[in-house]
Amino acid sequence: MKMLTIALSALACTPGARADTPPLVIGAVYVGSINDYGYNRSFHDAFAKVCKDLPGTRLLEAENVPESAEAERIMEGMIQQGARLVFPTSFGYQDSARRVAKRHKEVCFEFAGDGAATRNFGVFFGSTQAAWYPMGVAAGRMTRSGKLGFVIGMPIGYALGNVNAFEMGAQSVNPKATTIVVVTGGWSDKAKEAGAANALLDQGCDVVTMHVDSPTTIIQTAEARGAMSIGFQSVEARALAPKGWITGLGFNWAPFVAKVARSVLANQFRGEAVYQGLGEMVAMAPFGASVPAGVQAQVNAAAAKVAKGFNPFTGPLKSNTGSLVLPPGATVGADQMGSLNWYVQGVVGKVR
Amino acid sequence: MTTPLFLGVLAGAVLSGTSLLYATLGETIGERAGIVNLGLEGILLIGASVGFAVCAATGSAWAGLGAAGLAGGLGNLLFAWLVVARRANQLASGLAMLLFGLGASALVGAPHMGAVIAGLPKWCPAPLARLPWVQGTTLFNYDVLTWLALPAAVLVWWALFRTRWGLGIRAVGESPAAAYASGRNPAALQVQALAAGGVLGGLAGAHLSLSLTLTWAEYMTAGRGFIAIALVIFSKWRPLRAVAGALLFGGAEALQLQLQARGSEVSPFLLEMAPYLLTILVLLAWGGSRRLFAPAALGRTFYGLD
Repeated sequence: MKMLTIALSALACTPGARADTPPLVIGAVYVGSINDYGYNRSFHDAFAKVCKDLPGTRLLEAENVPESAEAERIMEGMIQQGARLVFPTSFGYQDSARRVAKRHKEVCFEFAGDGAATRNFGVFFGSTQAAWYPMGVAAGRMTRSGKLGFVIGMPIGYALGNVNAFEMGAQSVNPKATTIVVVTGGWSDKAKEAGAANALLDQGCDVVTMHVDSPTTIIQTAEARGAMSIGFQSVEARALAPKGWITGLGFNWAPFVAKVARSVLANQFRGEAVYQGLGEMVAMAPFGASVPAGVQAQVNAAAAKVAKGFNPFTGPLKSNTGSLVLPPGATVGADQMGSLNWYVQGVVGKVR
Repeated sequence: MTTPLFLGVLAGAVLSGTSLLYATLGETIGERAGIVNLGLEGILLIGASVGFAVCAATGSAWAGLGAAGLAGGLGNLLFAWLVVARRANQLASGLAMLLFGLGASALVGAPHMGAVIAGLPKWCPAPLARLPWVQGTTLFNYDVLTWLALPAAVLVWWALFRTRWGLGIRAVGESPAAAYASGRNPAALQVQALAAGGVLGGLAGAHLSLSLTLTWAEYMTAGRGFIAIALVIFSKWRPLRAVAGALLFGGAEALQLQLQARGSEVSPFLLEMAPYLLTILVLLAWGGSRRLFAPAALGRTFYGLD
C-alpha cells in the first residue's frame, strides 16, 4: 500500500550548490516520514546537521520509500542527480541497495542494517540492545507492580534483543520484575498500539515501553491511564508524558555521518561494518521529574557500565522456555542480534 | 490490579469498534443507494489526517472533528461526481479514491506529523465510574463519538427505514428505473447518500487520530476501511446489525492483544490473523445467499431510461 505514497523531495542545504566544484551530494532514503519524531526524524536531523556544518555537501531526500524494487529506482534516480554517498536507512533496503552498489562502484553506500561490508558498501547501526539494560534498571526501580509492558512491532531479532536486555536490567535491581511483550504486527499500526498498551495496563503493568516507529501513541495511552513510560527512537517524546516519563533511548547519527562524508570528500571511503552503542550512536534521554536522584544515579551507573563494554548477553543464559541458549562464557555480539530468536527468563511472550 | 479477560476484550472492542461502526454505517447508506465505495479506506484516511491537522493548527479537537466530517463528505462527493454524474465504473473509481485518499491524507498530515494534541475530551458518568469492575479500565470513559455510536446506528436505521428519504434511497438501490418511474431522482438520492456516508467515514477516521491514538501516521487506518466494507456484508446492509459486527471485529483485535498480554501460548502471528480469518469466514458463510440481502442494483450504473 505504501508503495503508492511516494514523495521524493529534494532539499538543497547549500543554496546554489551547482557551483564550479561539484559538491558532495548525499542521498538519504527513508522508509517513513521525516516528521515522525522517531526513527526517520533521527536520520534527517543528522543529515541536515552534517550538510549545514560541512561545506560542499548537499542533501537529497526521499521519504516513504517502500522496501521493494521502488527503493532501487529511487536510489538510481539519486545517483543520476549526482549523489556520491547514499544512505539507505531502513533494514528492508538491503537487497536493493546491494544491487545498486554493484552497478555503481564509484558511489559510496552506508546501509543502516547488517550483513557484509564491501569496498563501496558500508554497514552501520546503533546497537540499542545493551543500551536497553539501563532502561530496564530504571523500570525495575520505578515499578510498583513488578510488571513491565513492552510493545513491539514485529518479533525480529533486534526487537527481541531490546526486550531481553530490558528485562535483564530490570532483574538486576528487582529480581521479581517480569516484562510482558505484545506484538502489534506492524511498525506503525497506531490503533493496535493503543490497544496493546491498554491490554498491558489491564494486566497491571505500570511501566510501558516500546519498539515501534513512533512512541507517541503508546506513551500518551499510558499517561492518560496514570502509568509510567520509557521512550524509544526519539528523546523528544518526554513532552508527551509530563507525569509518567521515566527516560528513553534515541539515536545520534550525526558524528558518524560527518565522518563518512569527510572520508568520501577526501576520496578515502572504505566500506566497513560499524556498530556503536550507548554514548555513540545511541543516546539516553533526560529523566522525568518523578525519577528520584538515587534511581537516576543507579541508571547512569548502569549506562556507564554498558558504554564501557559490559554485554548483558553473556552466558549462562536461559530462555523463557527453560532451555540453555547461551552456555557459560558465550556472548551474543551487537552484529549477531539480527538472528536472536529467544526471550530470556522473566519475559512473558512467545517468539513465534 | 488486573482486569478480567472479558472486560479487557469488551473495553478494547468498544474502542476499536467505534471507528469501524461509523465507517460501516457510512458505507451502508451508500450501498443501500446502490453504490459500492471501495475507497472507504481513503475517506477514513482523509478524515483522520484532516481532523488531526485542523486540531493541531487550531488547538480545538471539536474543530478537527467538524473538519474531518466535512472532508469525508467532500471526498465522497468527489466519488459521487465520478460514479453518479460521470457514470464511471464504481470499482475502478473506488480504488482510485483509495489511492487519492492515501496521497491526499499524507499531504495534509505531513506538516503536522508529530504535533501533540489534547484530543477529544472523555467523560465517564460518576455513577458508572464508581462501579468496582470499571475502575482501572477504559470502560465508560469515552469521547463523544463512542458515546454517540449507538445513537448514530439507530439514527441511520431510522433514516433508512422510517423516512420517505430512506425509502427513496432503498428504492434506488433496488431498482433505479422503478424509482425514477415513481417520480424520484436517482442521481440526486445517490449523491445525498454518498455525502452522508462520507461524513460518517470522515468521523470514523477522526476517531482514530483525535481520540484513540492522538497521532497522525501515514496509512494509520491499516485496512480498517476494508474491514468495514466486509462488515456491511456481515450485517446484511442493516445498520443495527452493524453494531454487533463492529463489536465482534473490534473484539477480535482486542482479544489477540489481550491474550498476548496474558502470556498466551498461541503464536502472535496466528492471533494477528484472527480478525481477517473472521472476515473470510463471514464472507464464506454469507456469500452464497448474498442476493437475498444485497440491494438488487448494487454496483450497477444507472444510465437513465433514454
